[in-house]
Amino acid sequence: MRHIGIIFRRELAQYFSSPIAYFVAFAVLLLTGFTFNNDLALRNGRAPVDPALPLIYLAQFSVFFVPLLTMRLLAEENREGTLELLMTLPLQDYQIVLGKFLGAWAYYTLLISLTLVHQVLMLWLNPVDVGVAFAAYIGLWLFGGASIAVGMFFSALNENQIVAAFLGMAALLILWQADLVGNVLNNRALAEFVRSLSFQSNYSYSFAIGIVRFDHTVFFVGVMSVLLLATAQIVQSRRWR
Amino acid sequence: MITVESLTKRYGRFMALRGISFQAESGEILGFLGPNGAGKTTTMRILTGYMPPTSGRAAVAGYDVFADSLEVRKRVGYLPETVPLYPDMTVHGYVKYVAELRGVPQAASRADDVLRLVGMHTRRDSLIRNISKGMRQRVGLAQALIHDPPVLILDEPTIGLDPRQTLEVRDLVRSLGKNHTVMFSTHILSEAEQVCDRVVIIHRGEIVAMDKPQALRDQLQKGARLFVRVGKAESAESVRKALQNIAGVARVEALPDGFSVEARRDVDVRGRIAQAVAAAGWELLELRPLAMSLEDIFLELTVREGTNERL
Repeated sequence: MRHIGIIFRRELAQYFSSPIAYFVAFAVLLLTGFTFNNDLALRNGRAPVDPALPLIYLAQFSVFFVPLLTMRLLAEENREGTLELLMTLPLQDYQIVLGKFLGAWAYYTLLISLTLVHQVLMLWLNPVDVGVAFAAYIGLWLFGGASIAVGMFFSALNENQIVAAFLGMAALLILWQADLVGNVLNNRALAEFVRSLSFQSNYSYSFAIGIVRFDHTVFFVGVMSVLLLATAQIVQSRRWR
Repeated sequence: MITVESLTKRYGRFMALRGISFQAESGEILGFLGPNGAGKTTTMRILTGYMPPTSGRAAVAGYDVFADSLEVRKRVGYLPETVPLYPDMTVHGYVKYVAELRGVPQAASRADDVLRLVGMHTRRDSLIRNISKGMRQRVGLAQALIHDPPVLILDEPTIGLDPRQTLEVRDLVRSLGKNHTVMFSTHILSEAEQVCDRVVIIHRGEIVAMDKPQALRDQLQKGARLFVRVGKAESAESVRKALQNIAGVARVEALPDGFSVEARRDVDVRGRIAQAVAAAGWELLELRPLAMSLEDIFLELTVREGTNERL
């Protein structure tokens, strides 16, 4: 636990000394700000604003910006040879993976909490359903954790950060759009299974409309667990090469 | 302190280690010598718990490197060949980070202590990306020393350093050897000769020689070679002939300033050379054993290996 905490702290601090993390934060706030303002202007006081709308956009952007946050995590350690240091210190391989994951997730949490400014503005403009906002944030937080686990998995797979980011984006895009992938499959059972992997339907059709569903919560937690286990296995496999 | 028994390591179809065995006592500096690709790094990676061996056994301080990996890692300080540094951290921040991960009490002040020891304390707040290669090497060394481990494993700690930095690192290793077991790899032979108590020469995954540097030299000087310098001789050729005719002399070679005389094994020809020179009416200016450097020994051993393979 102590080891995870130390790695977590370094990982989180790393984001504040990295230009990419600031660029990502800038881009995320800019894009959500645009969508928020746009929505506000369209409704123009005639209809109540939807507190989840900026978050649905944010989830969509996550597909592109989360891999930028995670590409570094293991690929850099691999390339710089620091993984050899970590793997010869008296700590378990899973502690390295978990510490790094939690560091990235904490930065993501910070990033999405900056968008609370929109919620405050909405509350000030007209009464909104706070429950929906709350559910949407819980969902987005889990969504981000699962996306980070996907991105980190690809960061463990190779030494090249650009390749890791690209593969992470491609995988998240496919997962986001898994509904469409399922639609073109002939086998009914397979199609249902692929559709159930859709990040979009597990988020947009439940959390984002104010429903915290048990199965969708389990889905995101499950994605995190499976991919973290897989990542730990990849890290460990270096010992057997 | 370090025990290695018939250790092998296979990468796919490539045998990196073919059953090596050696030991290092506590307080000993063991030089690990070999050309690139001989298996030095592989051995060190097994001893530090980075990867398991294919077969055989290795133990550090009585703990098996595979079964008790965490216990071994607590007792070993390791400087890998590529110094594992985070360019975005400060020198002190990095050493403190390793200290914390190792659970060293008072990590921050201990980090300052080791930085002082390796002479990097004045640069403690510099970013690692901004310091020179020699400094990086020393920061890497500080990291390996942070928990005052009984065993230090240093993979080519002097590679890429300028001559002055090389000397500094050698001095540091020598002083550490007083109360640590140090295993230290290099492909520079004179370095091993200067620093180590004992040398293991490894080539193509096998140990080809293992002894004190001095003993290694003795052992390989089959039929000692002597250096002879003669004055007042009419011609070099006549001296060569006279030396060649002495009983027990195997070979005479003219050197720019004298002759190299190789005797047959276990024959002392020094007295006969002196007599022969005096009998010819010349002056014996110099007669001394020609010491083989480790360089020669090394070449001899590895060449012999090569000939075996061709047979």
